[in-house]
Amino acid sequence: MSEQYNIEKFKERIERIENVLASVAAGDMDARIESQTEDDLSGVEAALDLLIDDLTDELRQRDIMQKESDEKLSKIQEQQKTIMQQQEDLLELSSPVSKVWDNILILPVIGTLDSQRTQIMMENLLQKIVDTGCTMAILDITGVPTVDTQVANHLLKTVTSARLLGAECILSGISPAIAQTIVHLGIDLSIIRTKATLQDAMIFAIRQNKQSDDARLRRQLADSNENHE
Amino acid sequence: MNTEMHDKRIPIIKIKDFLIVSIQVDMHDKLAIALQSQILDAIGKTGAKGVLIDISVLEMVDSFIGRMLSGMASMASIMDAAVVIVGMQPAVAITLVELGLEMPGVDTALNMEKGIDMLEKRLREQKLEL
Repeated sequence: MSEQYNIEKFKERIERIENVLASVAAGDMDARIESQTEDDLSGVEAALDLLIDDLTDELRQRDIMQKESDEKLSKIQEQQKTIMQQQEDLLELSSPVSKVWDNILILPVIGTLDSQRTQIMMENLLQKIVDTGCTMAILDITGVPTVDTQVANHLLKTVTSARLLGAECILSGISPAIAQTIVHLGIDLSIIRTKATLQDAMIFAIRQNKQSDDARLRRQLADSNENHE
Repeated sequence: MNTEMHDKRIPIIKIKDFLIVSIQVDMHDKLAIALQSQILDAIGKTGAKGVLIDISVLEMVDSFIGRMLSGMASMASIMDAAVVIVGMQPAVAITLVELGLEMPGVDTALNMEKGIDMLEKRLREQKLEL
């Protein structure tokens, strides 16, 4: 009789354990077995309770960490967005091409040159040459700290493309350090007209302008004289 | 075949001492070769001293056309005529430079007016030298 009773009781307790485990699996972390009796099975029950406790703690910690890393990620993403925006602004701001005189454009370059920037610079300059019809462009690199092979190559490309459009480029403001690097790197800048300062370049360009104007006037005068005769 | 070529011929206009060629269709290789010989024929026939080639509407110039243009310039200069390429678009200039076709020896001008000025100046200098 008592044996029968014990078996019934054990069945009940095992069922209880199954129920608790099922509800824990379903996500209810507050479920515990909490057995009152002291016997062989109660050890297993207590161990299971402890295990559930540990699991609950672990899960809670994982949630906190997840939340923290999510916050960090969104912060980093925001920062990245700002950096990209600023980079774009910088690219747009950093290569202004302005017309300073009849037929003369100036492109002052300030800061470090990389391929992307030089590419945008080149496109801006060429577009401006076509838009304004100026045939002289002064590239002033006083504000450029260093020039490497790639940048020198880009400058050469800019000058050559401008020549293909029918405009002449003058390079001005080459610092002693840059002159040294260029020669050490073995870059041939002889096809580019270079002037010491922006002032020299301006004077040269204006003089060149005047010469072609004078030549045109003289031609017109000569033509009209021929016609009269 | 023949009529097709005839349909797409690019007109060569003679004004005073110059020939004016305005390319207004997309150039393909066959057309480019035909144009080259047409221009050289015209130089021979008219005794023109300069050729102005207007490519302001060409949005794409490949290496073949680029080589054709620079080749034509040297051929024309042997025949005592200067070639000026007029109105090249920025994108085309960048492409040509990236392709390594820097066209040394070819004169360029921003627009037709400046091109004519350039040729007139050169002609006058030649006359003065005589």
